[in-house]
Amino acid sequence: MKKAIKSIIRHFILLFLAVVWLIPILWLFVTSFSGYKGINTSHFFPETWTLDNYAQLFLRSDSIVQYNRWFLNTLVIAIFSCLISTILVLMVSYTMSKLRFTGRKGLMSFSIILNMFPGVLSMIAIYFILKTIGLTNSHLGMIIVYSAGAGLGYLICKGFMDTISISLSEAARLEGASEAKIFWSVIIPLSKPIIVYTVINAFLAPWGDFVFAKLMLNSGVATDWTVAIGLFNMLGKSMINKYFSVFCAGGVIIAIPISILFVIMQKCYVEGITGGSVKG
Amino acid sequence: MKKKVLATLLATAMVVSCLAGCGKSGNDAAGSPATDSPATDEAAPATDDAAQAEDETAPAADASGSPVDTLIANTTGTVTMRVWASEEDQDFTNTLLDNFKAAYPDVTFDITLGAESESTAKDTVLTDIEAAADVYAFADDQINELVQAGALQEVAAHYTYDVAAENAGGAVEAATVDGKLYAYPMTADNGYFMFYDSSVFTADDVKSLEKMIEVADAAGKKIAMDISNGWYIYSFFQGAGLELSLNADGMTNTCTWNAAGGTDVAQAIIDLTASNVFVDMGDEDMATQIAEGNVVACVNGTWRAETAQEAWGDNYAACKLPTFNAGGKDCQMSSYSGYKLVGVNPHSANLGWAMLLAEFLTNEEAQAARFETRGLGPANITAASSDAVQSNPAIAALAAQAAYATPQRVGGNFWSPAETLGQILASGNPDGTDLQTLLDTTVEGITAPVE
Repeated sequence: MKKAIKSIIRHFILLFLAVVWLIPILWLFVTSFSGYKGINTSHFFPETWTLDNYAQLFLRSDSIVQYNRWFLNTLVIAIFSCLISTILVLMVSYTMSKLRFTGRKGLMSFSIILNMFPGVLSMIAIYFILKTIGLTNSHLGMIIVYSAGAGLGYLICKGFMDTISISLSEAARLEGASEAKIFWSVIIPLSKPIIVYTVINAFLAPWGDFVFAKLMLNSGVATDWTVAIGLFNMLGKSMINKYFSVFCAGGVIIAIPISILFVIMQKCYVEGITGGSVKG
Repeated sequence: MKKKVLATLLATAMVVSCLAGCGKSGNDAAGSPATDSPATDEAAPATDDAAQAEDETAPAADASGSPVDTLIANTTGTVTMRVWASEEDQDFTNTLLDNFKAAYPDVTFDITLGAESESTAKDTVLTDIEAAADVYAFADDQINELVQAGALQEVAAHYTYDVAAENAGGAVEAATVDGKLYAYPMTADNGYFMFYDSSVFTADDVKSLEKMIEVADAAGKKIAMDISNGWYIYSFFQGAGLELSLNADGMTNTCTWNAAGGTDVAQAIIDLTASNVFVDMGDEDMATQIAEGNVVACVNGTWRAETAQEAWGDNYAACKLPTFNAGGKDCQMSSYSGYKLVGVNPHSANLGWAMLLAEFLTNEEAQAARFETRGLGPANITAASSDAVQSNPAIAALAAQAAYATPQRVGGNFWSPAETLGQILASGNPDGTDLQTLLDTTVEGITAPVE
């Protein structure tokens, strides 16, 4: 009996937390179907329901809503940044985890400390450097900014690679494999779970970034924008009353690529169990 | 061993070149605005009487032809320009840009249009003036800071029309800093006035705020004004003859709101809002409340004309601000007049063309078209005197209010204290602070030196 009460209380706490966490998302979701475009809603659920906001996002591009274009821009930037970052992180992790060289410890500590400084600190400097090379307002510049420093975030990945037995790479080395061969054929197949983690992380950062994008893409030309800037622009004081529910629809759509990415990657999460590769 | 030495050398070389590269770019970035400024002065169009034929971009009035011909003759290759206009103005500006390209068929243009609200143009432009658009629209209250930062090219000469002569005096004054014209007036309707539902109020009712409150109370409706906003609360104090102005330094304010009569105004605002008929309400709220029929009159600007017209239909009307009673005396509410201006960035690579384009975007034809398509009141004298403009209720109300309006010239320290004052007064002074003390504190905040 006592156990049951405790369980009920526990579940109520969990329920409460779940509601607190889900309500804003639910609100965003239902508002995206609202027939009223403005922000001054006095109801949780919209009074009229429509799919028009989504239609406006994708089918009726005007100077304010160019969602298809923004989506493509963001996707291209995020995919390339994700690829480059993931490869960099994995390579750095391998180097730090499996190779032994002079200054390894020092280099590791140095990069970790460097990585602890928030990226926004160097924002202005990065802006001016890129401006002198003419890379502001270019998606190439953004990809460079997002992926260049990625190698510094190797810590978690290295920790994972440390758990892969050194005897595997030693065995491969005895068979005459080069470091590249060991990396690609032995370590990578065993690191699937951490690759999933790295890929999702590397994709999410540029996908949701606002600060750098806002600083870099300052030409005001809407076709250059990413989704984050475009959506933010809809909240301008003269636009918000006409575009708020469209903004919500845009916010809902943003979640789709991330979800797809996760569903694909999830398989690797389960498969990536390293057990059985080393005999005891 | 040899390999290691080589590796170290290579690494050192890389680091050094890297540092050198950074150092150079840093200098460039820091140094360029300073070195650019004198250069742009040379490139500026010469005044009509001082012809500089050797200057490439200058519209010199030499014997060979008009300044525009000289400009075209001196142009080789594509003219690349970037224009910023507000989101609502995009389609209209695109049409104008097409017309501009068609007007000069001999020149290849590459003009891109970006979106930047007039109200935030200053912030975006000043973030990086070199990266800002060649031609941009902004609200006239930003002109001082833009000029100080060197973000506006002086309009020392003109290609197609005389900016100072063809626009209304107030608009030209708003585009002028220290006697020099820095921008092209585009619209003259950025001020506020009274919208009302004529099925509730008669034309006589709207002459006095007290009367309006009485009528609205009887109808069970509300009158809205954004009292807790320095821009609007100014109308009461200025109307009662108290002063607020910008000092010569362009940053600090002079304010006499705490002088004799100030407490009467403060008391008047408390009394007006006490009935809960005259309410403090933000712009967005007002839009909803008008649409829902709760608000039947409001102090707002042309940007709300559409909302009011939709809600009230044929009963939609507008007039100058009413009078209010302060200390037993009826005072006419004042207001800020506002203008939207077009400025040219001195860092523009095609300064001559940028100035010509700015003229094209603001000439009589463009202003008249802007009124027709977007309902924005023209600053151009000829365009403003057309019948269509005169018969527009909102524009007519603005014109009637113009006699009591002043241009918005105020330093940044005004807004926050004024907002606090507005909030306290609109909520009926809940702490019961002595009104004189309250005004003294407000004025102290408004006139505080700028660090």
